[in-house]
Amino acid sequence: MNNFFEIKIKAENENVAVVRVAIATFISNLEITIDDLMDIKTAVSEAVTNSIEHGYYNNINDENTVTIRAYIENNEEDNIKIEIEDSGVGIEDIELATTLAYTSKPELEHAGMGFTIMETFMDEVFIDSKKDEGTIITLIKRIKKRKSGN
Amino acid sequence: MRYKYDNGNLSIKLEEELDMNSCKVLRNIMDGYIMKYQPREVEIDLSKVQFMDSSGIGLLMGRYNLTKLIDANLVITNPSNSIKRILELSNIASKITLKYNEV
Repeated sequence: MNNFFEIKIKAENENVAVVRVAIATFISNLEITIDDLMDIKTAVSEAVTNSIEHGYYNNINDENTVTIRAYIENNEEDNIKIEIEDSGVGIEDIELATTLAYTSKPELEHAGMGFTIMETFMDEVFIDSKKDEGTIITLIKRIKKRKSGN
Repeated sequence: MRYKYDNGNLSIKLEEELDMNSCKVLRNIMDGYIMKYQPREVEIDLSKVQFMDSSGIGLLMGRYNLTKLIDANLVITNPSNSIKRILELSNIASKITLKYNEV
């Protein structure tokens, strides 16, 4: 089975829960453990929240959107690839942004853990960002197939 | 969210998914109760929390800093496995008391 879906949300924090439910439903047909499912939900939640909080500075209007595309590829193992795309301000210093506990907004109680969680919970994380054009975060998780009978 | 104050102990039971959306509201409410009661111990019960991302760490860190200011203890009880993993990624796990009660 190869499958994909795409959703587009207005960049608003209350929509992040909608994305989490959609992703969880989309991958729930795979033989996936609860831990893997939670890892993916959490990583996606971080990426979408980053787009809203940092890409768009919480500036809510109809032009500010986040697009989430998810792909399931069936090979030896199931690969789940998720792209989170915004057309916000972009990340100027990727190295700084991905440093543990670094946050550009400590006064808003951001823990600076977003990229650390994405990198810990997913197998691969790619950041493609251009200043004033936007950011695409690609998250990949490989799900090992269980042997039949297990 | 529910809360109970009893003899120096402020117990807060969170029931919502802890993401940026809910945490922005919760931190004001929780700080309101903490400042009102000035407890010796703040207990945050996570047993009903089904999901938490790094916004939840920010929420707990912020409450940790406030309880330290008023010389109170912060105790986090009953996080699920996946929430525990997230707590352990941050340095908050070394600062707060984690407790598991029989449910």
